[in-house]
Amino acid sequence: MKCRRVWGWGNSPDTLSYLESASLMSGTLESLSGLGEDGSSVGSDSEINGLTIRRTDKYGFLGGSQYSEGGEKDIRVEVARQREIKWIDMFNNWDKWVKHRFQKVKLRCRKGIPSSLRAKAWQLLSNSQELLEANRGKFEELEREQGEAKWLDIIEKDLHRQFPFHEMFAARGGHGQQDLYRILKAYTIYRPDEGYCQAQAPVAAVLLMHMPAEQAFWCLVQICEKYLPGYYSAGLEAIQLDGEIFFSLLRRTCPMAYRHLKKFKIDPILYMTEWFMCIFSRTLPWSCVLRVWDMFFCEGVKIVFRVGLVLLKQMLGSVDKLRELQGMYETMERLRNISPDTIREDLLVQEVGISSSNMYTSKICFCFDSWTRVMSHLSCCDRSSNLHFLCLPHPPTFFPI
Amino acid sequence: MQTNHHKERLYKILVIGDLGVGKTSIIKRYVHHNFSPNYRATIGVDFALKVLNWDQETVRLQLWDIAGQERFGNMTRVYYREAMGAFIVFDVTRPASFEAVTKWKEDLDSKLTLTNGKHVATVLLANKCDQGRDVLTNNGIKMEQFCQENGFVGWYETSAKENINIDEAANCLVKHIIASEKDMLQSEVSDTITPQLEKDKGGTCSSCFRSQ
Repeated sequence: MKCRRVWGWGNSPDTLSYLESASLMSGTLESLSGLGEDGSSVGSDSEINGLTIRRTDKYGFLGGSQYSEGGEKDIRVEVARQREIKWIDMFNNWDKWVKHRFQKVKLRCRKGIPSSLRAKAWQLLSNSQELLEANRGKFEELEREQGEAKWLDIIEKDLHRQFPFHEMFAARGGHGQQDLYRILKAYTIYRPDEGYCQAQAPVAAVLLMHMPAEQAFWCLVQICEKYLPGYYSAGLEAIQLDGEIFFSLLRRTCPMAYRHLKKFKIDPILYMTEWFMCIFSRTLPWSCVLRVWDMFFCEGVKIVFRVGLVLLKQMLGSVDKLRELQGMYETMERLRNISPDTIREDLLVQEVGISSSNMYTSKICFCFDSWTRVMSHLSCCDRSSNLHFLCLPHPPTFFPI
Repeated sequence: MQTNHHKERLYKILVIGDLGVGKTSIIKRYVHHNFSPNYRATIGVDFALKVLNWDQETVRLQLWDIAGQERFGNMTRVYYREAMGAFIVFDVTRPASFEAVTKWKEDLDSKLTLTNGKHVATVLLANKCDQGRDVLTNNGIKMEQFCQENGFVGWYETSAKENINIDEAANCLVKHIIASEKDMLQSEVSDTITPQLEKDKGGTCSSCFRSQ
């Protein structure tokens, strides 16, 4: 079951061969041989919504809307192997690559990080590995602390509600849920001022699908503090502000979708909250989720904006599409349940990747507009506490643009 | 834009309450007639549509399933807009979720009023009643009193798991919504004309791409 987790391959990267990566998929399937025909090893949860599920897809899903039917084409073996070699080479000289050849790193992230190396790559891209090394023992220390009852209570209620169709999280009290508890709890102790936000759980779960708890914890820290600062904080102001910015960007990039949403009074927070806060992990087919996360870890929050814009353009960007959506409810339904058939991984990535320097410029301009507005709204509040707004919509500062 | 051939009513109904009390389960039971222990936690807001036949009319209920965590409370103003009724849900096995009921009711009433200035019809649901009864809900008289004091039009012990009282509670809410709608129509002064700009005549021409 843990075959897809390739981490800690340490000092001898050259030992990681194509064969090992190829065995990742068969390993996932093989692991199911230990699972009874009735799916008994996942306990009572093997029967989900009346469906008895026996097999996982190659990502570990037993069913549900993010189950992959396997129709998508896999890249050629030689290509996969070449990519792995390139990535391993980058890992060996990571600092130099990031410093001098970042465009190439970015391009490679856009092409998709090889699944065998994804965990390592995410940790390097996010600097979470460095953070872990600088804080050896800290996670254990956090784990030993008791934590605040009000957070633990909520976290416990959410444990069985994250990717219930994924083999790692399907079993009540199973390893996945235990690890999830550990890292979410640790975060509330690490940042007592922020505590726990429900939207952190799916993010943490995706990380746990790829790496052990301690690594996942530091990766989560980076997402919450560097990539999406303020998204999970008590007032949720940051996400609401980004909703406004997003809507304004939509006006420039796809006026038709913008007018439609405006006409039916569909406020951005009605659909983008989950998209942005969970980094699309509950929204897209799984192969797309991974590709989006690969780009996100490399390029930051702008990827989240772009994916959102591409989705809206695809769903609301033509007269034909809008004809079926003659109401607020119909539109919301479409946005909330994106049909996997309408999303093609390669097209999505291509659209997101189309260099939209214009868009970015307009975004910065808009940031200043919105900043001015926010400041005027906040005139009676403590401004200093809201200063983080200024840098919010930009990619984290340590990312070269 | 919409031509009604036969009478059809559409109501937006909010489902609110603390996290994990069973809001999503209640909606799934009511709309899809099933129950699963494996629903995902709601992040932000979710939607479902229930169509009812009501005195030879079609009633469409747009159910808004709103995330229960306190910090999402900052977004409730947007979620509440134009709602006609609400369920406030608590978990009978968790007294703290009952204590939060008044907080949810206050939040609702402070952010949402009907055009006649009244509060929207709200029904209180004591959910998970299959898992043993709370001392409080054992005392019907006290609950009635609580409802009166806090402006609930009724309360029901429900179980999404065992399908107890959910249809009944919804019917009660719809009945009160229809009554409050009539009340609103009557309270409007009939000979007053309220001039309004046509919505479609904005600065940008949204009618250009309207389908024929």
